[in-house]
Amino acid sequence: MFRNRGFVNSPPGRRGLFPAVFGAAVAMAILAAVMPFWALSDRPLPAKATEDLPAGAMQAKATTACLECHEARIILQQRLSKGAWTKEVDKMVKWGAVVDANDHDALIDYLSTNFGPDQPAYEAPRTAADRNTSEKSAARPSK
Amino acid sequence: MSSRRKFLKQMSGAALAAAAAPAVLTWALPLPQGQSVEVPGEDGMILRSFRFTDLETPVEYFNSWLTPVPHFFVRNHMHEPSELNADDWRLTIGGEVENPVTLKLAELSKLGTHAVVNTLECAGNGRSLQRPQVPGIQWGKGAVSTARFSGPRLRDVLQRAAVKSSGKHVMFRGLDEVPGKVPPFVRSIPIEKALDSDTLLATHMNGAALTKHHGFPARALVPGWIGAASCKWLTEIKVLENEFVGNFMSPAYRFPNQPVKPGDAVKPEDTHPLTALNVKSVISGPADGASVKAGNVNVHGAAWAGEADVVKVEVSTDGGSTWTAANLSHERARYAWRLWSYEWKAQGGNYAILSRATDSQGRSQPAVPAWNPSGYLYNAVDQVKLHVS
Repeated sequence: MFRNRGFVNSPPGRRGLFPAVFGAAVAMAILAAVMPFWALSDRPLPAKATEDLPAGAMQAKATTACLECHEARIILQQRLSKGAWTKEVDKMVKWGAVVDANDHDALIDYLSTNFGPDQPAYEAPRTAADRNTSEKSAARPSK
Repeated sequence: MSSRRKFLKQMSGAALAAAAAPAVLTWALPLPQGQSVEVPGEDGMILRSFRFTDLETPVEYFNSWLTPVPHFFVRNHMHEPSELNADDWRLTIGGEVENPVTLKLAELSKLGTHAVVNTLECAGNGRSLQRPQVPGIQWGKGAVSTARFSGPRLRDVLQRAAVKSSGKHVMFRGLDEVPGKVPPFVRSIPIEKALDSDTLLATHMNGAALTKHHGFPARALVPGWIGAASCKWLTEIKVLENEFVGNFMSPAYRFPNQPVKPGDAVKPEDTHPLTALNVKSVISGPADGASVKAGNVNVHGAAWAGEADVVKVEVSTDGGSTWTAANLSHERARYAWRLWSYEWKAQGGNYAILSRATDSQGRSQPAVPAWNPSGYLYNAVDQVKLHVS
């Protein structure tokens, strides 16, 4: 997923340079394996502003039902039991989410399978840095 | 300083040379997590949600008493107003009043200016630390910030409208854009708090006009109380005989009257509305999981207690067996957090460093959080794990 996103985000003009830098890229990949990649650049490439829901039979229907009002991260960060997901879905249907009665149980299964209590925590991205603000605020950095 | 730049500074010369390699290489490799999202006016914030906007302040920013606006957490329940024009903006004050009033921004500004330094904290701050996990924005420790808010006192505005003796609660309605059939974000506060001389209709934050994320052109500022009390983008103030009836007064933003076994359901009649914040401290540095060198290590953070005063912050470097008082910074205000620090002579090993605040009401942070179905008011003793080499 991230590999695709990198190409999507890259300026089109750079694609032609790919063969020329391939060898260097291999060397950089070794370095990237031992350190956080974003540390290589002081201005990291932008991430997607809004996320997508995970693949699955209910992905399209969940996208229509849920993401009309809010983005996927609201869902991606939850770690809930099936009972808790049932309550959430029923609340959201009351609040206007369009879920066909035939899809109700499948939607809850999709959410509780992907976002159950045992899944690892969602890693939220940061907003872009503003150098001036950061340095003004760093009155007492950690030692 | 952002952790990214700090990390860069700590890198070896060779690695720095690699960092200077042509940026053209950066697109040719898989992009891992840790990328950033452009949100104008915001700086290095943790993106909990882009649409609607929910941004958390990283705890390493708890290093200045007043939080710069680009570092001040953002909690939106709905979409921000798509159009806000200061000239067209109007605030109506009605309900249980003798003289309903409509004010323009210029008229509001003429009602005097009062400043309050307030630590604003979302009631759900720390929700992600509750077990079992509960639904809602999964805040870490940073849905809290401090600013100098200024604007007219709410009571001066209410006096202009002449509140009737039947007026017991004051409702705020904002210009949030409500999707679907979602109930509007409307809440009320009791008249006593509304008439308090420190409760404001804030138009400014740290001396500058409110930004859109923080409620331009005017927001309620209910000091010492949960952030949800301080409605943004105000358009209507209504004096009511009773507490406002709506989703964001009940079932939302209520706390169980009695302790709850983690995971249990609670009936609405066994809950009360959340008002003032409780006592809490957070360690802002060294960062959780950091490796530090043996010797003097400055452990520091912030502590706050809603309407009460922080009287003590203690630090334990032995997992809670012994506690030593930290130094409280001289900067203080009634509703504002205190920064604190502790000079620790660290020897090699692995440590759990704890912080615990105590307030003027005799409250102190519990070892175990008070679990509740919506994960409000998390305030357990804070902890970071450190490796000392």
